[in-house]
Amino acid sequence: MIEVLKPGLETSVQDFPGRIGFWNQGFPPSGPMDSWSFRLANVLVGNEPGAAGLEAQYIGPTLKFQRDAVIALTGADMGAKLDGMPVPLWRSVAVAAGQVLVLGPARGGTRCYIAIAGGIATEPWLGSRSTFHQAGVGGIEGSALKVGHVIPVGTGHGVAGREVKENARPPIRTDKRWDIEVCAGPNDDWIDAAGQARFLSADWKLSAKSNRTGFRLEGPEWTFAEKATNKPPEHGSLPSNIIDHGYPLGAINLAGQTPIILVNDGPSMGGFINPYTVPSAAFWKLGQSKPGDIYNFKQISVDEAQAMVRAMKAICTEASIV
Amino acid sequence: MIYDEPRTMPGGDRYMLLEFGNEMNLELNFLAQGLAAAIAAHRIKGVVETAPCFASLLVHYEPEDISFADLKAELLRLVASLGPSDDIELPSRLFYFPTVYCDPWTRAAIQDYTLKINPDKEYDPAFVARLNGLSGPEQLVRVHSGTEYWVAALGFWPGLPFMMALDPRSVITAPKYNPPRTWTPQGTVGMGGASTAIYPVATPGGYQIFGRIPVPIWDPKRRFPVFEDSICLFRPGDRVKFVPVSVAEFEDAERQVADGTYEYNVVGYQKFSVAQYKSWVASLDRTKRF
Repeated sequence: MIEVLKPGLETSVQDFPGRIGFWNQGFPPSGPMDSWSFRLANVLVGNEPGAAGLEAQYIGPTLKFQRDAVIALTGADMGAKLDGMPVPLWRSVAVAAGQVLVLGPARGGTRCYIAIAGGIATEPWLGSRSTFHQAGVGGIEGSALKVGHVIPVGTGHGVAGREVKENARPPIRTDKRWDIEVCAGPNDDWIDAAGQARFLSADWKLSAKSNRTGFRLEGPEWTFAEKATNKPPEHGSLPSNIIDHGYPLGAINLAGQTPIILVNDGPSMGGFINPYTVPSAAFWKLGQSKPGDIYNFKQISVDEAQAMVRAMKAICTEASIV
Repeated sequence: MIYDEPRTMPGGDRYMLLEFGNEMNLELNFLAQGLAAAIAAHRIKGVVETAPCFASLLVHYEPEDISFADLKAELLRLVASLGPSDDIELPSRLFYFPTVYCDPWTRAAIQDYTLKINPDKEYDPAFVARLNGLSGPEQLVRVHSGTEYWVAALGFWPGLPFMMALDPRSVITAPKYNPPRTWTPQGTVGMGGASTAIYPVATPGGYQIFGRIPVPIWDPKRRFPVFEDSICLFRPGDRVKFVPVSVAEFEDAERQVADGTYEYNVVGYQKFSVAQYKSWVASLDRTKRF
């Protein structure tokens, strides 16, 4: 059991791949935004890569351990200290009952992951422990951590002192610029050639109005192909309006002129076009960027996107541990 | 337009969007629902889940188990095997909801949007009425509440119904917000394109909004017996009727919801016959309004 002394800005229980199979009722998968770091944290402490752990955003929590544990921190550096002693990232660490883990503001990345040997043992909801706090489901009482919450932990057999190889860690950028892979589609043919070229060459700034449902981007105006303006009225009259349809997770959803990347807690359907989609293997970059950062999009094929996800799955295993 | 062969488009590494056409009619929704059911029945290896909507079906697949090309071939084969929609006859519940049109709560949300985001935004009921050649908000209420709505899909947010007017004399259209609202009151009734929706909880949104119901349409705590099977009230194929009421009646129903005594008004004995529906629609003068 772990007691929450301070919750941090928005710390939540997540598992991977999350709440899958309810998209047709409108339930998003949730889960960790940077599943690369998240899975490696679990592997470090001897858990299955998808076991439930904590995602801390921007400012991390303060946690008191009520029994001995083995933990691992990955992702963003939040200057973690255990009873005042610095805790390394990417390494499994033994914690004694009564010790207090303090995380501060993120520097170098945005989201820090905390895995505990045995995994977090909250009651699953629709097959997943992931928190979808905007709808009040999953995690602990359906919300991000609050002061006084007690986090139940399963039985594990973690070993301290294990480390993730340098070359198996996500290269988190600190210069506020990110090259993000995108695949064309489903609705790239609603954008004219100039608009497509502009999307792929422009600087896109991540807006402060972003959260786990959507990442809003600020950048140049969009221009449209003929099919976006010459269409039956039930699409809606704006060029970005389309008859409501299912949204891929990662879709770059064009709401009027505002592109919004639909991320882990995003909507499953709606009436805006999705000219591009961020493939799942690039989500970790979204998860480690912060408002004000600049995105440059790089188009890849569906085959390349599928190869990336296979490669990442192979990295998130025991083979990356020394 | 209904396509001769459905179009398939990729959405990143693990989604395929299959479009049956680029218009809204029930026929396309029957196809989408029918294909989703056929995919489930055939247990195609590699299909994780599907999300049918008005005229399309989103498929979430696992590329380690099936390639985009093989998935496309499997789905087109299934589409070809679906029978004519005239044969469809399905149980269809009818929900009556007390509804305050042009209510103070959506008006406040619109005013907040006008103040903070887009000063040029016209009041939604007046805007939708004007775009559809109606005399004003009063006729919008008459036209919008003059039909049953068909629940074509659930999505955007848990339990949110995407609905189509079944009576062609009540079909109206509207553009979506640009940019979207950052909040919408729970229970708001609105529309975008030709789709009407109810917002299950307070969320951002892009529809034009002009009414509100006091009744929960999703209930994670399952306080009411209608949520026994699912925490989402609706299933595709249900129907909805909005009954205009006063603010006082709304607040009375709201109190009953709060103390758990509210009785959902659901009709459960009817079947929806596609063939009979089509022949009824064919008998109507579609240019008429209520």
